[in-house]
Amino acid sequence: MGNLYSLGGNMKKIISIFFALFLSLTFATNVFAAKHPITGETLAADQTFTYWALDEHSSIDPQIVEDVSGSDIIRDLFEGLLNQDADGNLVPGVAESWSANDSKDVYTFNLRKNAKWSNGDAVTAHDFVYAWQRAVDPATASPYSWFMDIMSIKNGGEAISGDVPPSDLGVKALDDYTFQVELTASLPYFAAMTTHATTFPTHKATIEKYGSDWTKPGNMVSNGAYALTEHVINERLVRERNPLYWNNENTILEKVVALVIPDENQGLTRYLAGELDKGPVPSGQFKKLKAEYPDEATSFPRLCNYYYTFNLSDSGIDAFQDVRVRKAMAYAIDRNVITEDILQAGQIPAYTFTPGATAGFDVPKVAFGKMTQAERDSKAIELMEAAGYGKDNPLSFTMIYNTSEGHKKIATVMAQMWKQKLGINATMENMEWKTFLDIRSKQDFEIARGAWCGDYNEASTFLDLLTTPSGYNDGKYSNAAVDQLMTEAKTLNDASSNYTTIERILASEMPVIPIYHYAGVFMLNTQLKGWPYGNVEQNWYSRNFYKVAD
Amino acid sequence: MIKFTLKRLSIAIPTILILIIISFLLMYSAPGGPFTSERPLPEQVLKNINAKYGLDQPMYKQMFNYVKSIVTEFDFGPSFRYKDRSVNDIIAQGFPVTLKYGTWSFIIAVLFGVSLGIIAAIKQNTFLDYFAVGFSISAQVLPNFVMAPILVLIFTLYLGWLPGGGWEGGKIQFVIMPVIALSTSYLASIARLTRSSMLEVLNSNFIRTARSKGLPKYKIILSHALKPTLLPVISYLGPAFVGMITGSVVIDMFFSTGGIGLHFVNGALNRDYSTIMGITILVGCLTITFNLLVDILYAWIDPKIRYDS
Repeated sequence: MGNLYSLGGNMKKIISIFFALFLSLTFATNVFAAKHPITGETLAADQTFTYWALDEHSSIDPQIVEDVSGSDIIRDLFEGLLNQDADGNLVPGVAESWSANDSKDVYTFNLRKNAKWSNGDAVTAHDFVYAWQRAVDPATASPYSWFMDIMSIKNGGEAISGDVPPSDLGVKALDDYTFQVELTASLPYFAAMTTHATTFPTHKATIEKYGSDWTKPGNMVSNGAYALTEHVINERLVRERNPLYWNNENTILEKVVALVIPDENQGLTRYLAGELDKGPVPSGQFKKLKAEYPDEATSFPRLCNYYYTFNLSDSGIDAFQDVRVRKAMAYAIDRNVITEDILQAGQIPAYTFTPGATAGFDVPKVAFGKMTQAERDSKAIELMEAAGYGKDNPLSFTMIYNTSEGHKKIATVMAQMWKQKLGINATMENMEWKTFLDIRSKQDFEIARGAWCGDYNEASTFLDLLTTPSGYNDGKYSNAAVDQLMTEAKTLNDASSNYTTIERILASEMPVIPIYHYAGVFMLNTQLKGWPYGNVEQNWYSRNFYKVAD
Repeated sequence: MIKFTLKRLSIAIPTILILIIISFLLMYSAPGGPFTSERPLPEQVLKNINAKYGLDQPMYKQMFNYVKSIVTEFDFGPSFRYKDRSVNDIIAQGFPVTLKYGTWSFIIAVLFGVSLGIIAAIKQNTFLDYFAVGFSISAQVLPNFVMAPILVLIFTLYLGWLPGGGWEGGKIQFVIMPVIALSTSYLASIARLTRSSMLEVLNSNFIRTARSKGLPKYKIILSHALKPTLLPVISYLGPAFVGMITGSVVIDMFFSTGGIGLHFVNGALNRDYSTIMGITILVGCLTITFNLLVDILYAWIDPKIRYDS
C-alpha cells in the first residue's frame, strides 16, 4: 500500500487511467455479453459443456453403437427422423411430419428440405434407406441389428440372417424427401423407435471411401448439430458446432467435450476442481454431496431394477424349488437398510420387478410390500419353518455376484439378514464380469445377482425377462400364465392390467427377489441449463443446453 | 559382439512366437468372449459378428491368420471392443502417451535414485544417509495408487495448480503428476540398490588402492567406483524401463491419460482379444530389446564380461 502513495504524480495518473480503462472494458463486456433469446438470461462467454464418461464408448457409428455413452455422442453428431424433447415427447428431427396408415403398418415420413450433411450435401430419404439397409446387412455385423427386427420392418429378420439381400428391407424413398417403411405387424409406437441411434442416417459416399475409418475426425460426415473434431481413445472426444445444421441459429452451446475418467472418485474430484460440468456421484456419497452442494447433486428414478434370481432349472438346488423358501428369503430382506443406509441416493425399495417410474405401469400393492418389516420377518420365519428349515437344520447355498464394492456390500447385508433371521448359511462368491455372465447364462449357480435397464419406457421391457422363451431368463422361471399374459399384452392398446396381474403372480411365486429400483445420480454445474430432468430415458441433446454467466 | 547380438535376435523371434501362442491359448481359456454381454445377442446377430471377426474359424486358423497379417502387413487387426478402431490405432494413440510419461519417470527415477544412493553410501551412517534411506523406504511403501490421490488432493483441490487428470496431447501440466506418481517407487528401489552396491564397491581392494595412491575422492567415486556400482542397477533398469513406458494401469486410470496401461487391463476384462494380443506383443518385443541392451551395456561397463568366446 505504502508503495502506491510514494509514487510520483505522473505514475498515479497513469494508474488511474489504466483503472478507468479496465473499468470501461469490464463494463463493455457486460453490455455485449449475449443474452438467451427466450429467457433473457446472460450467457457465459465460454459455451463449452464438459462431461464425465466412465468408459470409452464402443463406437460412434450409428448402425454399430450399442452403449449409452456412444448413443449420447451420436445424438449430437447425427440426427434421426424424430427427436425427444425435455420430457421425452416426440418432436420433429430430419422428418418434419409423419403419418401412418389405419392399420399402423405403413409409416410415411416427410423430410425437411433444409437438412444438410456437414459437407454440404442434402440429407435425403435415400440416406435413410442406405442406413437402414446397412443396419441389417450381415456384412455390417451390427450388434444392434436386432433392433430393426423388433421394429417389425418387413424382411428385417430375413435380411439379418442373409436369407434375402438387405435391399429387400421394407424401406423406400418415394422421392428425395419422402421416406416410407413397411411393417409386418401393427406397431402403434413405431415412430418413437426412430429416436434410437441405430435408425440415424449415414453418409454413403463417406463410408464407401473410408471403410471402418470413416468415424475418425476429419473423415466423418454427419448431419447433427455438432461435428466431430477430436477423438483420443480412453481420453477425450470433442465435438464442435456444425454451422450447416438446419437449426444452427437456435443452437447456443459451441463445444461439447466428453472426458473418459475410469474412476468415479477421480471423476468427482475433477468435477469439484471445476474441470467438468457434469460429474459422477460415487456410491454412498450422495447424502453428503447433497448436503454440501444442494443445487448440483441430482437424483432421479431410473428404469432399472436390481434383483437376485434363483436358479429354478434342474441344475439348481432342491430347496429353491419350494416357494416357501423363496418367499421367506425375499421377506427377510429389509430393503430400507439397503436403500437408506448403504446406497443413500434416492433408490427405491423394490417389491415388484418393474420400476414404478415406467410409463403406464401401475405399481400393484403386492401383499409383502404392504407389510411392515417386522411382519415380513415373522412371516419369513414361519414359512421357513414350514419348509423344514431352521437353526437346527440350516439351509446353505452360494450366492454369486460380479466383482464390485457396491454389490459386495449389498450381498453382505443380505447374507447377514438371512443368517440372523432364518439361520441360513449363505456363502458369498464374487467373480469377474464376463465369467459371471458366462456362469449365469449356463445356470451354473444357485442364486445370482441380476439387474436390468429398460430398453424402452414400457413394462414389457422388464417382464419379458421372466417369460419362458426369453434369452435373458437366466433363472429359467417358467409360468404358462405369465407367458400367456405377455403374449396377449403385445396386441393390446393398454396392457397395464396384464402387467399388474403378472406382478401379483411374481409376488406369490417369487422366482426373483426384487431388491431396489435404481436412481440416476450426478453432479451438474448450476451454470448449465436445459438438462432434460423430465426425460426418464435421459436422452439428452447438447444443442438444447446453454451456459449462463456466473 | 555382433555375433552375440545376432544370436540373441535370432532367439527373439521364436520367443515372440511362443509368447503369441501362449497368450492366445490363455485368452481363449478364459470364460466368456468379446461379445458376451448381459443381453445375449440373438443367435443370427452373433453369427454375423463372429463371421466378421473371423471367430467362426477353428482356433489354429485364427492364430495363423493373425500371425500372418502381423508379419505381412503389420496389421494387428480390428479391436473387438472399440468397433471403429483398429489395434494399430489404439497403440498409435496410447503408446506415445505412456512413452512420454514413462521416459520422464525413468529419467527422474534414475537421476535422483542414483544420486541419492551414492550420497547415502558416501556419507554412510550420517544424517544424509538416514534421510536418504528414510526417504526411499517411505517412497517404496507409498504405492502409486496411494500417491496419486494424495498428489491430486494437494495440487488440484487445495492449491489448484495442476489439472486433476487428462492428457491433452501431453502438455507439461498434465505430465507432472503422473511422472511423480510413477517414478517414486522406482526411484526408491534404484536408490537402495545403488547404495548397497556402492558400499560394497567402496570396501573393495581396488578402491583402497586408489585411495592409498592419494587420488581425490570425487575422482575415485566417479571414475573408479561408479561403473561397477551401476552393474546391478542396470540389470534392474532394463525391465523397469519397459514397465514404465508400457504404462501403468493405476496412472492411466487415475489420471485418465489414455495410455496403453489401461487398454491392457480393459482388453483382458472386455475379452478384446486383438487388443490384448497387440499390447502383449509390444511389451514382449520391448522386453526382449531392452534385456539385450542391458547385456550389451554390461559388456561395455565391465571389461571382464566377454560374450564372444
